[in-house]
Amino acid sequence: MRFRRYALLVLVVVVCLGLLSVQTRGSGLARAGDLVGVFTTPFQTLLAKVHRGALSVWSTYVDWKSVRVENAALRVENERLRVQALTVVETRDENVRLRRLLALREQLPLATVAAEVIGRDASGWVRSLTINRGAGDLVARQTPVIVPEGLLGRVVRVRTGASVIQLLNDPASTVGAMVQRTRTPGLVEGEPGGTMRFKFMARDGAAIAPGDLIVTSGQGSIFPKGLPVGTVRSIEDRGSALFHFAAVAALADFARVDEVLLLTGQTTQDLAGLFAGTGG
Amino acid sequence: MRLTIALMVFGGSLAQNSVVPALGLGGITPDLPFIMTVLLALRRGPEAGCVVGFCAGLLQDVAGGGLLGVQALSKALAGFGMGLVGGRLLVENPLVQVPGLVLLTVAEGILRFGLLQLFHYPASLGELMVHVILRQALYNGVLGAGCLVGVAVLEAMRERLSWR
Repeated sequence: MRFRRYALLVLVVVVCLGLLSVQTRGSGLARAGDLVGVFTTPFQTLLAKVHRGALSVWSTYVDWKSVRVENAALRVENERLRVQALTVVETRDENVRLRRLLALREQLPLATVAAEVIGRDASGWVRSLTINRGAGDLVARQTPVIVPEGLLGRVVRVRTGASVIQLLNDPASTVGAMVQRTRTPGLVEGEPGGTMRFKFMARDGAAIAPGDLIVTSGQGSIFPKGLPVGTVRSIEDRGSALFHFAAVAALADFARVDEVLLLTGQTTQDLAGLFAGTGG
Repeated sequence: MRLTIALMVFGGSLAQNSVVPALGLGGITPDLPFIMTVLLALRRGPEAGCVVGFCAGLLQDVAGGGLLGVQALSKALAGFGMGLVGGRLLVENPLVQVPGLVLLTVAEGILRFGLLQLFHYPASLGELMVHVILRQALYNGVLGAGCLVGVAVLEAMRERLSWR
């Protein structure tokens, strides 16, 4: 009994270490993950839909609780109208979001694919979104992902029918960027607390000020030039250090995004002017 | 019963990435599959804790886009360890179980950090401890206490019905 118990533990440890070591060598374990993903993605999609439905029912219930009417008939009528109004507001908000996405899509000089968010991982270890577009939609790894406010992240894993996006505030995320006003180059890095920082050479960054817009630099051939990333919130002065840091406020609301655009094409054009509030 | 547990593990692990983020407070979400693993390990022993932890962790690795095997290993070890401790010490009391869950979350976080170091994970342990691990441990403790109360109420109801 005891031997069986420890044999099971050893087996699990060996399997896990085997999985990890195969990934260290960079070989095709992604296929095994894809295989599991084929079974899990439909359930994940279903759970996301049930969750949204439950939230909708809950908000309707909360609204119903706040209604105080004396007349029973009026109460029923009021309830019906309120439910109807909630549906209209929800539809209108969704309409506004999709219109903004569509307007941006039509302005962009490169091919795009629209996608819906079906899962989120905001544990702090990994900050990612799962979307309902995958290998069948010609999505590739490293594809930039945007929203009308600016850059959201990049695709890091492509499965059948779903992809995983690494958000800009993921601790492992690094994006080549520059300050739009001063053209100071640097890197935008994610931090475990869910925030972002801009790392730049001290000698280039004297003129950077809070409120400055940070955009992608276009170097590295992953992200097109000019995608808004965030604004400078404060600057951390490290005296004579080679690199200084600036705290960056994200433009996109990572926690609330529901629809995204994947930039599947490429362009050398500066895209800053296509985003609202970039002043480009 | 095994089917119920399997469904709980499957559903709970996928819900972690789709439903549980709505429970987030200050950017931190509770680790529902981990709570399930610990509570099951306490009731069913180290083998069940190990298998449930492995399956739940693997599903989370796949759904969350992390490295395949990291959470599977850390949760399997946590489940096994909790199952062993549960058999040797008096852990029936919720006043022991809840702090145990908090401490085990911290231990699992440190173990996961150690594994991720093999892949040059960029964040420091101090930052993770402050921003992620300790907060999630507290959240897991609170939610775990809620789960224990829920289970106790259900068991009391079942006992009452069978007595009638």
